[in-house]
Amino acid sequence: MLTCDTYHLPTTLRDALELWAKAPEGSRLVSGATDILPWAREGRAGDVHIPSFVDVTRVAEFGGHSVAHGRIRLGANIVYQDFLTDGVLKQFLPCMPYCAIWFADDQIRQQATLAGNLANASPVADGTPAVAALNGGVELARLENGEIKTRSFTVSDFILGPGRTVLQPGEIISSVSLDALAGYGGSFQKVGQRRSLVISIACCAVLVKADSTGRVFDDVRLALGGVGPRPIRLNAVESRLRGEKISRRTINSAAQLAADEVASRSRQEYRRSVVIGFVKAGIEEALDNQSDVDAKFEELENA
Amino acid sequence: MPKLKIDLEVNNRKISKETDAHKRLLDFLRDDLNLTGAKEGCGAGECGTCSVFVDGKLVKSCLMPVAKASGAKIETIEGLADPGSLTPMQKAFHKTGASQCGYCIPGMVMAATSALRENPSADIEEIKERLGGNICRCTGYTKIFEAVEIAKAVIAGDMPEEALDEEPVGESYIGHNVRRLDAPSKVSGRLRYAADIKMHDMLQMQVLRSPHPHANIVSIDTSEAEAMDGVVCVITSDDVPAETDGFGVFVHDQPIMARGKVRHVGEAIAAVAAEDLVSARRALSKIKVEYEELPGVYDPEEAMKAGAAVVHDYAADNIVKHIPVRKGDVASGFASADIVLEDDFSTQQVEHAYLEPEAGIAYVDPDDVIVVMSPSQNITHHRHMLAHILGQPINKVRFIMSPVGGGFGGKEDMIYQGMLALMAMKTNRPVQLNFTREESIIASAKRHPSRVHYKMGLKWNGEITAIQFSMISDGGAYGMSSEGVMRKAAILSCGPYEVHNLSVDTTAVYTNNTPSGAFRTFGGMQAQFATESMMDMAAEALEMDPFEIRRINMMKVGSKTHTQHKLTAASLDACLDAAETDSRWEKGTPNVRGSYRSDLGGDDTRAPCTLGARFMDRKTSQDERVV
Repeated sequence: MLTCDTYHLPTTLRDALELWAKAPEGSRLVSGATDILPWAREGRAGDVHIPSFVDVTRVAEFGGHSVAHGRIRLGANIVYQDFLTDGVLKQFLPCMPYCAIWFADDQIRQQATLAGNLANASPVADGTPAVAALNGGVELARLENGEIKTRSFTVSDFILGPGRTVLQPGEIISSVSLDALAGYGGSFQKVGQRRSLVISIACCAVLVKADSTGRVFDDVRLALGGVGPRPIRLNAVESRLRGEKISRRTINSAAQLAADEVASRSRQEYRRSVVIGFVKAGIEEALDNQSDVDAKFEELENA
Repeated sequence: MPKLKIDLEVNNRKISKETDAHKRLLDFLRDDLNLTGAKEGCGAGECGTCSVFVDGKLVKSCLMPVAKASGAKIETIEGLADPGSLTPMQKAFHKTGASQCGYCIPGMVMAATSALRENPSADIEEIKERLGGNICRCTGYTKIFEAVEIAKAVIAGDMPEEALDEEPVGESYIGHNVRRLDAPSKVSGRLRYAADIKMHDMLQMQVLRSPHPHANIVSIDTSEAEAMDGVVCVITSDDVPAETDGFGVFVHDQPIMARGKVRHVGEAIAAVAAEDLVSARRALSKIKVEYEELPGVYDPEEAMKAGAAVVHDYAADNIVKHIPVRKGDVASGFASADIVLEDDFSTQQVEHAYLEPEAGIAYVDPDDVIVVMSPSQNITHHRHMLAHILGQPINKVRFIMSPVGGGFGGKEDMIYQGMLALMAMKTNRPVQLNFTREESIIASAKRHPSRVHYKMGLKWNGEITAIQFSMISDGGAYGMSSEGVMRKAAILSCGPYEVHNLSVDTTAVYTNNTPSGAFRTFGGMQAQFATESMMDMAAEALEMDPFEIRRINMMKVGSKTHTQHKLTAASLDACLDAAETDSRWEKGTPNVRGSYRSDLGGDDTRAPCTLGARFMDRKTSQDERVV
């Protein structure tokens, strides 16, 4: 059971930073709050008393998104359901709808934020590999002598390990920035015990772009989740494929390189075989999902 | 407790209220506004019994701090339809029988309503995805999906409104779909389960549970807990008469609260009643229990060995119950066999996971009658046991069965009603105990994990000459329904087949695991898994068709069952004929089929298992097959 002394709902970034800086030790910053309530239960943290909650979901500066210079900036309050319903997000972040549809269920997606998912730094978070594939970064805001200061990190530098990030006391994630990849095909692979409300055993975010002929890999982005303490970009697979002719043989041989990246502490053999399948299926699906390319992978194969 | 001022709109009514700062939207709706249609099935966002609309978006109210809802427009199940009426979705749920125990149904109706609001033409796959956050344990979802599809068609004008009406029943109810009488109360969220009922001046109770599987209780110090603000009373086994303490479905081996020692993790040690839930929970952490840990036993076969830790003093061999069944002469049966097959089968522990966690209220009425209201599946037996334990005449103990939000056998054991009754007597106030999901899982009985060693002798023509069947079941720490489960397993052991020579032994054994008890089929499933697997393996070994080997051995009119009961009616032949025809079974040995078979899921076949099937005409049922 979760109890608290005070629950703050600041409406400006400055108010949020002030409240958070002054919050007594043991206080918690919350966004969607979909993780903290299940955490404060028997078998996990048990009964927990939090002196002060600072809830950032009404901070005006954290809403909305903007596109500039090939990057898209998401306010920290973007929730997972937005990736399925917002036309701009769907256009520029082609792997995110596939990631979102596998995330929890559509009720939790209404509350759960991408920024919160990154801040939790779970090794099995669905959002982190997708953000890594999108060359994502986070902007952190803090107060220094009454002035709002920010610093930025790539997602792989931001997450230090399971549950650990570079966030300092008084600091808040204010936005997430990602490559704006309109025209790419995206996909997301995940295995878990059931369809909805399931934590990944492993997952893989994929972004693919074919060249103007539709037959050669122009760009490939792959990132794994659930197979190590931090999200893993599959650089070796990506560089093996870039510039290559699209074929099942090429994909299959590159996919084998993915297995070497598996560094999780449990079920290594299983995860190794799963990620090879993920890379193959993920690339094929992402090729089919390219909005500007009509040809389907099967047709290319048989051409 | 620190307070928050909350202004919001609920079902078009403006609300302005001060409430505890830590409350979830679910608590606020249920406790402060008495809107109990949203339920707490898990408290962790997994089950969807608490789904409500917040500013038009469906969310799980157990995951939303109430502060987040301030200024919002909330819509609950109670607000979907005007009083006295139902929405098309609710009517469709009523029509198809989609509400069974009903506990998931308010949330399910909300999710279904949300699905069609988001996309009025959602196809079945999208409907399933949108209902993915809501769990039902009764229906197998078939009727729920059927209801959503009917409602969708009616709302879209593709079906007339009459499609929501009850189907006509001719001269007989048999063979017709009949609506459930209690469905309107469930689809509207009006039905109150035990946790939904509030009484004036009612205390909240919480239970301290054992962290150890096997330990002597050296001492319990409740003084600090009793001295806390808001705490009214703390009870332990010292408050129960020792001479009469003990309950169980067959053997009364379980004390109301652990007496002298604990036998499984999660066993009740003490209970606290307080003015509010938070005070009761905080008091639990102030109860000091000193344990002396004992060696435990966790495997039923280990438990039967000499020198194993003894769980109950009365049963030095750790045997809860051994049921032997003998018929004919097994030795000569095996001697006359052309082939003898032997194998082992095991099944695992299973949790019932009914959506309604255990809950109850007790109070003492003006005539000194101790009243316990709970979703017990066995109130009369509970009443008799409790009267005996408390030393009361039977007319001074009353049990009221509140609506059962799913039981499946898991609510047959009196694992908390005794504590509630005692607390009501001690405090002379109404007392309520609502289990958390975690508590329900740790404290309630499970399906018996079983191991069967099977030996079957057969003639080349497929006739069974003898069966030796030996089942060892993990009964866990208390007897509960083990004896009955072993009897049923023994009686059904060799299946619906006439076996002239059989030797059956089923044994439940005490261990320090979570107790095993009643669960749908009551021992039949474990036995049938072994028997039917053996029949298929025998068909393979004898190169016979699996239907054929079953027909050769099936019980008929005049057959004697394993327990020598002479049958005057038998229907396995008709059942096999129907299954064979409707599955369009391709005759042959099970292991010599090609990669493609047109039966079992091919065109115009019936699925081997249809959960929650309703009567439909043949054409419709084909379309509904793959669900």
